[in-house]
Amino acid sequence: MDFEPTIVSFLCNWCSYTGADLAGTSRMKYAHNIRIIRVMCSGRIDPIFVLESFKDGADGVLICGCHPGDCHYHEGNYKCLRRYHLLKKYIAQMGIDPGRLHLEWISASEGKQFAELADSFTETVRGLGPCHVKEIIENFA
Amino acid sequence: MATRVDPNFMHDLEKFGVKNWKDCFHCGNCTAICQLTEKDILFPRKTIRQAQMGLKDKLASNGDPWLCYYCGECSETCPRDANPGEIMMALRRYLTSIYDWTGFSGFLYKSFTAHLFVMLFLFFAVIISFLLFGGLMLSELTPAGGVQLNTFAHPEMIATIDHILLLSLSLFLITNILNMYYKVIVKDKSVKIPIWIYISEIGEAVVHFATQLRFSKCNKSRMYWFGHWFLMIGYVTMFIFIIFFLTWFQTEDIHAWYHPQRLIGYIITAGFLFGTVYFMIGRVRKKKEIFKYSHHSDWIFVVLLFMVALTGILIHIFRVNGLPFATYYSYIIHLAFEVPMVVTFVAFSKWSHLAYRPLAIYFTNMKKKASALQLKSKLSVAV
Amino acid sequence: MEEVRIGVYVCWCGNNIAKMVDVEDVSREMETLPNVVISRDYKYMCSDPGQDLIISDVKKHKLNRVVVAACSPRIHELTFRKALENAGLNPYMFQMANIREHVSWVHRSRENATKKAKSLVAAAINRIQWHEALNKRSVEIDPATLIVGGGISGISAALEIADSGKQVYLVEKTSQLGGYAAQIDLISPFMYNAAQLINPKIEHVYIHPNIKVFLNTQIEEISGYIGNFETKITNSENQSIELKFGNIILAIGLSTFNPSKIQNYKYGIIPDVVTSLELEQVLKSGKILTNDGNVPQNIAIIHCVGSRNSNYHEYCSRLCCKNALKYSNLVRSAIPDANIFEIYADMRAMGNGCEELYSATSLKNVMFLMFDQKNGLPEVREASSKDNCKMLIEFDEKLSGERIEVPADLVILMVAKEAHKEAKKLAQTVGISMCGNQFFIERHPKLDPVATTTDGIYVVGSCQAPKDIPDSVAQARAAAARILGTINKGSVEVEVTTAKVNEDTCCGCQTCISVCPYTAISFDEEKQVSVVNEVLCKGCGTCGSACPTGAIRSQHFTDRQILSQIKGLLDKSFELQEG
Repeated sequence: MDFEPTIVSFLCNWCSYTGADLAGTSRMKYAHNIRIIRVMCSGRIDPIFVLESFKDGADGVLICGCHPGDCHYHEGNYKCLRRYHLLKKYIAQMGIDPGRLHLEWISASEGKQFAELADSFTETVRGLGPCHVKEIIENFA
Repeated sequence: MATRVDPNFMHDLEKFGVKNWKDCFHCGNCTAICQLTEKDILFPRKTIRQAQMGLKDKLASNGDPWLCYYCGECSETCPRDANPGEIMMALRRYLTSIYDWTGFSGFLYKSFTAHLFVMLFLFFAVIISFLLFGGLMLSELTPAGGVQLNTFAHPEMIATIDHILLLSLSLFLITNILNMYYKVIVKDKSVKIPIWIYISEIGEAVVHFATQLRFSKCNKSRMYWFGHWFLMIGYVTMFIFIIFFLTWFQTEDIHAWYHPQRLIGYIITAGFLFGTVYFMIGRVRKKKEIFKYSHHSDWIFVVLLFMVALTGILIHIFRVNGLPFATYYSYIIHLAFEVPMVVTFVAFSKWSHLAYRPLAIYFTNMKKKASALQLKSKLSVAV
Repeated sequence: MEEVRIGVYVCWCGNNIAKMVDVEDVSREMETLPNVVISRDYKYMCSDPGQDLIISDVKKHKLNRVVVAACSPRIHELTFRKALENAGLNPYMFQMANIREHVSWVHRSRENATKKAKSLVAAAINRIQWHEALNKRSVEIDPATLIVGGGISGISAALEIADSGKQVYLVEKTSQLGGYAAQIDLISPFMYNAAQLINPKIEHVYIHPNIKVFLNTQIEEISGYIGNFETKITNSENQSIELKFGNIILAIGLSTFNPSKIQNYKYGIIPDVVTSLELEQVLKSGKILTNDGNVPQNIAIIHCVGSRNSNYHEYCSRLCCKNALKYSNLVRSAIPDANIFEIYADMRAMGNGCEELYSATSLKNVMFLMFDQKNGLPEVREASSKDNCKMLIEFDEKLSGERIEVPADLVILMVAKEAHKEAKKLAQTVGISMCGNQFFIERHPKLDPVATTTDGIYVVGSCQAPKDIPDSVAQARAAAARILGTINKGSVEVEVTTAKVNEDTCCGCQTCISVCPYTAISFDEEKQVSVVNEVLCKGCGTCGSACPTGAIRSQHFTDRQILSQIKGLLDKSFELQEG
C-alpha cells in the first residue's frame, strides 16, 4: 500500500489562499493530502505552528505567501522567509528531513501553480516516507 | 510559394452571377451537408474561400466547381444566406471563361447585352442567308404527300454547313479543353500522373458522362436529375443525328409512326420538351435552390433549346401534313434558333459543361489516385 | 468559562460539494465530537432558509459557537457572521471550513475527499472552542477622495463624486488630463469624436470647485486605512503637499505593447509599419499618407499584435478588433478605391454596436484574412520594385489553408493593451494585489469587480483589465457610488482582528516593534511593555509570531486557536487511504 502523507499547509489570506481558491473555482485537480490553514499573512506563521504540526503527526508542512514585494502587509513575507531558512536548519537538527518543509510564493492568480505545487510537494513527501516524530515523542513520553 | 491575393477578383466574379459572397463567414455547414465533397476535395467552403481571396491560379487548377451538381442543399443550409451553390455555379461560368483562350466566352458571360446582340445577329443572319441563298420553295408535295424540304434546304449543303460549324466549334472546344488540361493537370506541380492512370480512370469518366451517376447522389433532386439527364440524352442523340446522319434524319419520306427515325425523333423531342419546360417553370417559380438565381446565360440557353424543340415539332407537323410554306418558314426559324445556340453555347458557354464536367471528374480522379500513390511510396520510403 | 455549545452545518452547495463529499456522513460524524450540540447538512447554507436554520438552532439549542463547512470564507464568511449577529451571537464566534474550493472541486476520490472534509471540519471545531467575542470597531470616513489617474475613468469618477458635493483630489502623472481617450480621433463603433466628448469634461474638472487637480504629480507613499488615508505628494513646483482622504480610486489606465518585440512585423525598421496609436495621430491630421507622402493604395491591418499569444500576452486586449474595424471604415471613406486587408486571428468585436460594425465593414470590400497564432505570425517584408507595392505580408491563411501574400503600402499594428508600467509600484505602495499580467485584481471577479481586497481602495478602468470607454465610465461611476455610500454613512466598521499585548507576560524586548510594518506598536516606558495602537494595526500577526513570550496575541488568529486547528487537522481518525 502506497504511503499517503498528510501535509499541513499555511496559506496567507490575500495571495496564496486566494490562489488556492482559484485552483478550486478552476476545478484543477490536485493531491488530497494538502490540508490548508488560513492565516492573514505568511508573517503570522509562528515557527511553533510548524513544529507543532510535525509533533501532531504531519508528514510535511507547506508555507505559501505573496511574491516578494506583493505582500498585503508590505513585508510579512520577508519575515516569513527568514524564519523559514532558520526553521529548515532547526528541524534538520531535530531529525526531521528539511525536505518536509517547503515555502513557495503563490499569488492570487496562480491557481494552476498552486495545484502543481500541491502535487509535486506531496510526491516529495511521499518519497521521504512517514515522519515518525509523533511516535517517537509518544514513546519517549 | 505564397500566392498573391486579389481583392478585386470577387467584383469580376459578380458579373458571372455571384451574389452575397461577403456574407460567408466560413462555418463550413455547406461542406458538411454536401453529398459529393470528400476528403481532400473539399467544397464549397474552401473553393469559396479561394475565390474570396482572389487566388485565381488555385481556382484554375482545381476542377472542384465541376464536381458540384447544384442540388442546393448547401444554400438551404447556409446560416448566412450566402448561397454557396450559386457561387459554385458562378465559378463554373468563370472557369468556362478562363478555359476559353479566345476571350469570347467571358464577353458573352459578362454582358447580357453582348450575348443578346450576338444571338440576334446570328438569328437574322440565318434568316437572311436562307432568303438569299435558300433553294426553291415549292408548293407541290412529294408523291407521298410530304413537303419537298430537301429541294429547299439541300441536306448535303446543310450537312456541309453543319460540318464546317462542327469543325470550327470543335476546334475551339478542343483547344479550350486542352487549356483546361494545361491549367488543371500540367500547371499543378503537386502531383505527377503516370500514363497508366490516364487509362485506368477513363472508364469511370465515361460512365459518369452517360449516366450522371454523381448527380444522382444529390439525393434531394431525383426529378431534376431525370430532367437533366433526359435533356442531355436527347441533345446528344440529336447532335449525333444532325452531324453524322442528317440525310437519314432530314428526309422527305413520311415513315410510319413506328419507324425508328420517327421514334427516335419523338424521344429526342420529348427529352427536349421535358427538360426545357421543367427548367423554365423552375426558373420562373424559383422554388428550388438551383432555380432561384438565373444568370442571363441560363435563360438564353434554355429558351433557345425550347425554341429549337418547338420549331422542330412545327416542321414535323407541317411537313407530314403537307403544308409546304409553313414547313419552310418554320425550318428557317428552327435553324435561326439553332445556329446561335450552337455557336454561342457549345464552346463558349453553358453547353460546354457537357465536356468540362466529365473531364473534371476524370482529372480529379487521376489526381486523387496519383497523390494517393505518391503518399504511399513516400510512406514506404519512410518505413 | 461558559459551556461551549457548537453547532455544525455542512453545506451541499447544491451538487457542488455533495457530489464529491458525503456531506451527510461528515455531518453525522461531527456530531460525535466533543462540545458539538447539533450537526446538520443542508442544500444551501448561504440561502435565507439556511441562515434561518442557524438562527433558530442558536436560539433553540443555546448554541454559542457555529461552524459552517461550505465554500471559501472569502466568499461567505461575512454572510454567516451577519447571521450570527441576527441570532444574537458575537460574529467572531464563527469559523468556516472550506470544503468546496479546497476539497470537492479539486479532488477526484469521493472517499478521500470526504475524509479530508472531515478533518477540515474537525479542525474548525477544535479551533472554535478558543474563539473569543470581539467588539466591533467603526472608523470615521474622511469625505475627501483621492483619484490616481486623470484619464476618462478618473475624470468620470471625479465628476461623479465632486458633483455630490464631496472633495476630490485628482492626481495625474502627465501634464494633461484625458489619458488615452484624448489621444484618439473617433471612438469605435459609433464614431463619436473623442475630443468633443472629453474636452468639455476636462474643462469641467478644471473649474469644478470640489476637484483639486495635481498635474505632473506622482504618488510616492500612501498610509492609513479606510476612512483615514493620507499621502504626501510633490507637485511640479516642488511643493510638498499633504493630503488626507477617506477613499482611493486607482484609475491609472494602461500601456501599449511595444511591437518591435515581434520581429516579423518590422516595426521600427520599415517606417510605414505603424501602431494603432500612431495611426490615430495620422487620422487626427486629417490625411492618411505613407511615410514618403503618398496616398497608400494597399492598407493592411494586423490584429492581435502581442495579444492572445502565449509568447507575449495570452489575454485578449478587447479593444483592438473594433478599433481595427473602425480603421477599415475610416480608410475606406478617405481612400475609396484602396485595397484594405484585415489580417486577424479571431474577430472578437464585442459590445454594443460592434457586431453591426463588423457586418457593415464586411460589405465595404474589406478582405478579411485569418492567421493562426500557433502556425507562425504574418511576416512583413519590403517588396521589390516589380511587386507594385511597398511591402508584402506573407502567412498561412487559416480558412483556406493556403500560403498567401498580401500587398501593403501601410501596415497598421493593433498593439496589445498591457498593464501600466507603474502599476506594480503603485500596487505595492497602496497594498493591493495584481494578477499575473500586472493588472490590479478586484475583490471578486463576479460580485465585486470595483473594490479591492483592501477596504477603501477601488480600481476602475483599464488598470484592472483592458476596457473600452463605456465600461471604464461605468466602473468609475460605480466606484464613485460606492464611495459616496460610505461617505454618506459617515463611518464604516473595520476588522478588529488586531494584535493585543498581554502586559503581564510582555518582557519588554521590543522585538514586536521592530517587525511591525505599520509602526503600530510603541513602547510604554513607564510600564516597560509594548502597546498596540489598534487604529494603525492591520492585523497581519507578524508581531504575534515574533514575540518570544507569546505576550502579543493576534486576535482571531491566536496561537491557541491555530494550534488547536492543527491538532484537529491531524486527528488520526481522518487519515487518508491509498489514493
